[in-house]
Amino acid sequence: MGIAAALLDDGLPAGRRGWLGRIDARAKVLGLLFILVIATLVTTLVPLALCVGAAWALALFGGIDIRRVALALLAVPAFTLALAVPASFNVVTEGAPLVVLCHLGGGHWGPWRVPEFLTVTDRGLFVASRFALRSAACVSLASVLAAATRPQDLFKGLRGLGVPAAFVMVAAMMTRYLDLLVRCAEEIHLAKLSRSLGGVSVRREQAWAAASMGELYRRSRTLADSVAEAMVSRGYTGEVHTLRQGRWSWRDGAFVAGCLAFGAGLLALG
Amino acid sequence: MDKVFDFRGVSFAYPGREPSLRDATFDVGEGERLAVLGANGSGKSTLLHLMDGLYFAQSGEVRAFGQRLTPEAVERPPFGPLFRKRAGFLFQNSDAQLFCPSVEEELAFGPLQMGWKEEEILRRVGDTLGLLGIAHLRDRPPHGLSSGEKKKVALASLLILSPVVLLLDEPTAGLDPRSQGMLLELLDDLHGRGGLTLVTATHDLELLPHIADRVLVLGEDHRIAADLPTERALGDTDLLLSVNLIHAHRHRHGAMVHSHPHQHTRTHDHAHGEGKDHLH
Repeated sequence: MGIAAALLDDGLPAGRRGWLGRIDARAKVLGLLFILVIATLVTTLVPLALCVGAAWALALFGGIDIRRVALALLAVPAFTLALAVPASFNVVTEGAPLVVLCHLGGGHWGPWRVPEFLTVTDRGLFVASRFALRSAACVSLASVLAAATRPQDLFKGLRGLGVPAAFVMVAAMMTRYLDLLVRCAEEIHLAKLSRSLGGVSVRREQAWAAASMGELYRRSRTLADSVAEAMVSRGYTGEVHTLRQGRWSWRDGAFVAGCLAFGAGLLALG
Repeated sequence: MDKVFDFRGVSFAYPGREPSLRDATFDVGEGERLAVLGANGSGKSTLLHLMDGLYFAQSGEVRAFGQRLTPEAVERPPFGPLFRKRAGFLFQNSDAQLFCPSVEEELAFGPLQMGWKEEEILRRVGDTLGLLGIAHLRDRPPHGLSSGEKKKVALASLLILSPVVLLLDEPTAGLDPRSQGMLLELLDDLHGRGGLTLVTATHDLELLPHIADRVLVLGEDHRIAADLPTERALGDTDLLLSVNLIHAHRHRHGAMVHSHPHQHTRTHDHAHGEGKDHLH
């Protein structure tokens, strides 16, 4: 499987994505987006932990591929630890010391005051945990939505929720052509690899990378021109018309109601 | 026979470049099967773009269905939408043609632009997918399809509009033999049963007898070198050699090595002197 295929859709039809996959895309976007917004508003740890738990429960019992959600969640520490860990120290966030890590000696370092000891503070640990949990909640919810919804349904769902057709069309085309762009970049890289012997200097690598970017830009422009011509050829005159959405079932309504109730509960918890 | 296209002294050049097409004069009748034959860069694709009202003649005149093709004419109703409905263009690169998130939306794109009713569109989507035997692809995203499937979906996205003429740019390029065969059979059906006018740009001589009764040969000077029935064009070795569609190459017969022009697609006999005639 190439990078492009791994980045994009897994090709599973809606029916094979569990009961969550069969929920209307509009209901999923609306419900999960509401919880995601709540996750950015709450300030205590319990609702955030509940949010992560709910996302995982949906992934586990919704019948979707749990590996995709787990894979996305693995990326969270890489992005959050670099920010969260320093925030737990007394040099960044003051508070009551919980663990003393080392002796710094106190005094001043330029305009900054150096504390006597480097410690993990209670307030720092809270801030770092909240940041990590919030990131985990957002990533988990987004990956549940992505795993349970095919891209084409997701775009339909956005359109059905009133997002302007031109915006959805551009977003859909970006996703569609990302695949080709990545494939094209892969081909350029492989073509170079097949004609390379041994290492080359950093400067030459940089020159090659710049030239490849130029070539990639040229190819994507040619393709963009062809796409525009293909659209005009089939009657496009600047205004996007798309298919209307089907009706909601009671299941879709129940899902949204459940999400709204859960989100309200989280807000009440703080 | 009514004229579908009428070119009179048409020339076209991309900005800052030499002309891609010079002084082209010909017409295409309704129900005809015409091939535009030429080497790479001879102006075949440009000619199809001019026929589809995507490019416009810089000198001379292009008429389609009796109306002069100008930027204004192809944009304004009633002729604009009617022209887009009647002329379908199958691009060489299917990835350029399939830009929607799903096959269903791909087929619905054209009719939606024409303002058709949604119930009618959904019915026609089902019918067209069924006609091409690809109903199972309806909810699939186009990027995950094979080359043959992409070509069929691209063709379906044109056929849904019930066009009068199909402009096909290298339709079999990049297809495996089975997909090529299916596409040729389908085009033959559409022409035979539906009376569709087919204009195909190609440099593939093997394809010609299957897709065209008449051939417009473009030379490397971007002018029309000949306008002939297919059989005569294929039999004219000097013409094909002059427009770079066949080449003379060296080959060996036992101890004898010699060079002469011939098509790999047709059997032919020739003489080496001293009675050593033979058949390729």
